[in-house]
Formats: sequence, structure tokens, C-alpha cells
Amino acid sequence: MTPAMLAPTVIETEALCKIYGTQRALDGINLCVAPGAIGLLGPNGAGKSTLMKCLLQLAPITSGSARLLGREVGREGRDIRKRVGYTPEQDCHIPGMVGCEYVTYCAQLCGLPFQAARQRAHEMLDFVGMGQERYRKIDTYSTGMKQRLKLAQAIVHDPEVVFLDEPTNGLDPKGQTQILELVSSLWRTYGISVVVSSHLLHDVDRICEQIIIIARGKVLVHDTLEKLKARKRGAAEVVVAAGQEELQAACRRQQWPCELLPNGHLKVEHKAESLNPLLALLHELKLPPLEVIPSPNALEETFVQALEMSHAAP
Amino acid sequence: MPLHDISYQHWQGTHLTLWQRRLVIARNGLNGCLQTKPMAQVIVVCWGAALVMAGLLFAVGQLLVADSIIVHWVGNFNPQLQTFAAFLTTWLEQHPQISVRTTQNVLFHFFCLYLMPLSIFALGVAIPSLITRDLASNAITIYSSKAVSLGDYLLGKFSTAFAVLSLTWLGPVCAAWFMGNLMAPDWRFFWHSRLALGHALVYGLISMILLSLLALGVSALSNKEKSTPVLWYMWWVVGGVMAPIARHTQPWLRHLSFNYDLDQLALAVFRPAVDLRIAQDNIPILGQMLKSIRPETMTALSAPAIGGAVLALVIMAAAACLIIRTRVKPT
Repeated sequence: MTPAMLAPTVIETEALCKIYGTQRALDGINLCVAPGAIGLLGPNGAGKSTLMKCLLQLAPITSGSARLLGREVGREGRDIRKRVGYTPEQDCHIPGMVGCEYVTYCAQLCGLPFQAARQRAHEMLDFVGMGQERYRKIDTYSTGMKQRLKLAQAIVHDPEVVFLDEPTNGLDPKGQTQILELVSSLWRTYGISVVVSSHLLHDVDRICEQIIIIARGKVLVHDTLEKLKARKRGAAEVVVAAGQEELQAACRRQQWPCELLPNGHLKVEHKAESLNPLLALLHELKLPPLEVIPSPNALEETFVQALEMSHAAP
Repeated sequence: MPLHDISYQHWQGTHLTLWQRRLVIARNGLNGCLQTKPMAQVIVVCWGAALVMAGLLFAVGQLLVADSIIVHWVGNFNPQLQTFAAFLTTWLEQHPQISVRTTQNVLFHFFCLYLMPLSIFALGVAIPSLITRDLASNAITIYSSKAVSLGDYLLGKFSTAFAVLSLTWLGPVCAAWFMGNLMAPDWRFFWHSRLALGHALVYGLISMILLSLLALGVSALSNKEKSTPVLWYMWWVVGGVMAPIARHTQPWLRHLSFNYDLDQLALAVFRPAVDLRIAQDNIPILGQMLKSIRPETMTALSAPAIGGAVLALVIMAAAACLIIRTRVKPT
């Protein structure tokens, strides 16, 4: 068990506000977040990065208060950051340095003595899958290498929480999968809490257990992914080998709206808590399903719904 | 397949103290500065000058010994000159405090004035690696996300500039004083020359702190590596050219040159006018020659514009702090 796993909360905020000029980037954020893999979702300009920056003291808080790992943000900045890792969205390397030198330097800035820093830098570069390219200057790295390097520098000092701002930006699908697997393993295997900020719902859906949806500087939703999916349990996607029309007709008779999706799946809104009525119908029609996906796109629907509500609000 | 375990390992160990982390920033900055060829060349020139200075101090020391190498060497050219040198030696032996203190004070004043432009040049070489590059690459964000504050970062960078100046200024001054007096005929030279060293250290340290601050300010002015050194050198050269011209038109304009202000500070610290008067009043023959110095030169030496210089340097330092505060922040 790591300290992060034992801690009751990693993030606590109370009426947190951040104002840039006339714009309220964060508008009274109240959060109490338990350790885990946390997804911070929101459209561009919603305030995700600002929230991260406020928590890390990269941007001063206008009003309200925030605690990270039980410590007051603003008073114990250095101590907090010693226990926290951060990968910014944009490239933030130190020019002229080679990869391993850079990660070693970052470890030293977090307080590791040189020998330990160097050894750990190599371990982390191994962990993120960087080979001999670690001896090349960072300026020559591809986007994928830079993302890996950013992850390595964020975890080199063994933090309790890692903040990742758009960690898959600019990566090809294979690179995205690799980075997401690494990030996912940080919490699931090594007990390091992860806060992933992204506008890519699919990424968050794959690795996060808790979801925070932010828009216009306000928290719209904060719940576990499981509970969010449970809210959307009245729908399912059914894949059948044959008899799609027959199933559609049966659904209409039951007054269940259904729709044939471009991928050939039939989306059925059965409006029930469990899948049992749908499975009973399939059994009745003698249509063996190839696959039944409960609550498909739950996250996307919740996200869209939350945004619509926020737009509708005065 | 990797030959060793590539899974994540937790780390438990003793952390560096805050001052050690600041030192890491300073050391990294200094390493970056020293990698450039011009910087290495300037440092070599400064330390070469220190050797020359030590040689000069050795020569001055030899003048105090009746049958020294120098007196014999002078005698080879002209026996009359040897007689004069022997006379001078006798006089110097009677007034060691004046001879050692005054001579070394003058020599260290000139030595500091010689090292200053070299140090300013060295700072110009170092300026891109102080803050400019970090602004260009958003590295400030990385620093700010680690266990150091923005203040620690700036302190580290200030230390980098200060370390560069230590290599081009403070180090050569101390080394020259130590080597020169080590080779002197008497250990008392260390004691008699303490004031000269004190003046050099006071002037050197004040100048180094101010120049480091100004260099940080200029370094933070732009995120373009080529712009900031140009700005620094332009300020130095234009100020240096403008100061003598402005003396006859708008004297206050001279204070826009940090070089001029530091020169005035040097006059106030080393007080060469006092040394000149001592020499005029006490040293036979040479004193008479020194009395031919023009009165306006004596006035300029005895009454430097120190008030204006200090005010200008304080304003420049405040402006540098303001630039740093405005420009250096995580994005």
C-alpha cells in the first residue's frame, strides 16, 4: 500500500476561483476526490488545465482554498510538489539537454541526490519504453518520445499523485495505447493516483475510475465511472448474426426506441435497470446475440448532457 | 527483451535540502555557460591577467629589497638609474605602509577596471542560458512543478551569473593578491595590502551583484536567444560611448551607462585621489612629477558622482527585478 492509497482524499477544494482579467476560469469549484485514476473532462477552455495549475501553484488562486494530499496549496508548495508529478500539455524541456540528463536533473530538482537521480532516471526511461534515444538531445525527439519523456520526468521522484495534461496529444493510435497502458498501470499496479485531463472521452473511459466533468469553470459531474454508467443503464447495443429486422420490429412492439448504427449494432433503449427484459426478448425471438454492450457511450452521453445543462443554465 | 526489471520501483531515500536543490540549478546553469568557447577564452584571459598582476606585485615587492633582482637588472641599463632605484628602495623601506598599501590599491583599482569589461563580455555570452532559453522552451513550468519555487529558480540563476563573474573577476583578484603577496619578500605584505584587497572585494562584490541582477533582467527581456546578448552588448557599448559625450551636454545621461556608474563606484571605493596626494606629498621626485596632474583630473578623481551613480544603479536593479517578476512565470 502506498501513501496515496491510504490517504482519504488527494484533492479537496472549497469555493476555488481563478479569474484571469474579466474571465472566470474557475468558478467556485468544490471537490473532494479520493485516490485513484481520475479523469478530468471538459471541452477546450473549460478550466481543466487551470484547475491543475492552481493545485500545483503554477497559477495563483484568486479565492477559495485547495488542499492537495492533505496539505494547504499556497502554504506548502515545495512540500506538495515533492510528492506530486506533472506533465504539462505543451513541450517544456530544457534546451540542449539529452533525455537521460534531463530526467536526472528533474529528479534532483525534486530532491534526489545525484547518484540516486541518475539511476532512477534510467529506470523510469526503461519504464516508459525509451531505449538508446535517451542519449540524444531532446530537441531531436519526435512527439511520441517527448510524451514518454514528460511522463518519465513526472514520475522519476516517485510521486503520490501525477497530473497528466492531455497525455496522448499528438500521438498515433499505437503510441496512445502504450501511454494509456503505462498511465493505467500507475494506479492499478503501483498505487500512484493519476489525474488525467483530456477532451478525449475514449482515453478517460479506458483508464479512469472517477470522472470529473468541468465546463465554464464549474464542476458539472463528479462521480465514479461505474455510477455514471449505471445512470445510463436503460440502453444497450446488441449485435446479432441475423434477424435484425425481426428484432427491430419486436422492440417497436415493446415501445422501445431502437436505431441501427452505422457499425451494424442495434441500439435499444429498453429503459430497464437490468438487461434481463432485453435478453428475454432475444430468447423469445430465438436470436442468439453475438454481443450485448450495456450502457454504451454512457460517458459521452453524460458529458453531452452535462454540457447542455450548463449551456441552458443562466 | 530487456535484461533487467523494467517495472516501476518506489523510491525511499534522503532528499536534498533546499539549498542543495538551489545549488543544482546554479551548477546546471554554470555547466551550460561553460560549454561555450568564448566563455572559456574569456576565463583564460582573466586568469592570465591574474598571473600578470601577481608578477607586478612580485616586482613591487622586489623594490623593497636593497639588492633585489630588479635593482640589479635596472643597473645593467643605466648606473644612474640603479642609484635612483637604490634610493627609492631605501625610501620605500622606511615607508612600507605607504608603498605597499598605496601601490597595491592603485594596482588593484586598475586590475578591477581591466577585469570589468571582460566580465561584462562573459555575462553577455552567458545571458541566453540564464533565463532566455527557459522562456523559449517553457522550462519555467517544469521548474515550477518541481520541489523548488520560482524564487529558488531565480536564486539559482542569479548564482549562475554570480559564479560566472567569480570566475572572471573575484577569482582572479583573490588569486593575484594571494600569489603576489606569497612571492613578496616579507609576510607583512599580506597585512599591509589588506586594504587594497578589501577595496577590490567590496567593489567587486557590489558590482558582481548588480551586474548579475542586470544580466538576469536583460535575459528575461526576450525569449529569443540571439536578441538578449545583442541588447546587453548594445546597452554596454552605447552607454560607454554616450557617457563622455553627455558630460558636456546632459551630465545625468551618463548615468544610463552602468559601466560609467560602476566606474564612479570604483573611484569612491578605491579613492585614488587619496593615494595620489600621498604620493605627491611623500614620494621624492615621483611626487613632484605627479603634482603636474591637471586640477580638473584631480577633482574628477576626488569627487566622483557617487550619489547619481548609486541612484542609477538602484533604479536599474529595480527595473531588472520588475522585468523578471513580469516575465518569468509558468505558462
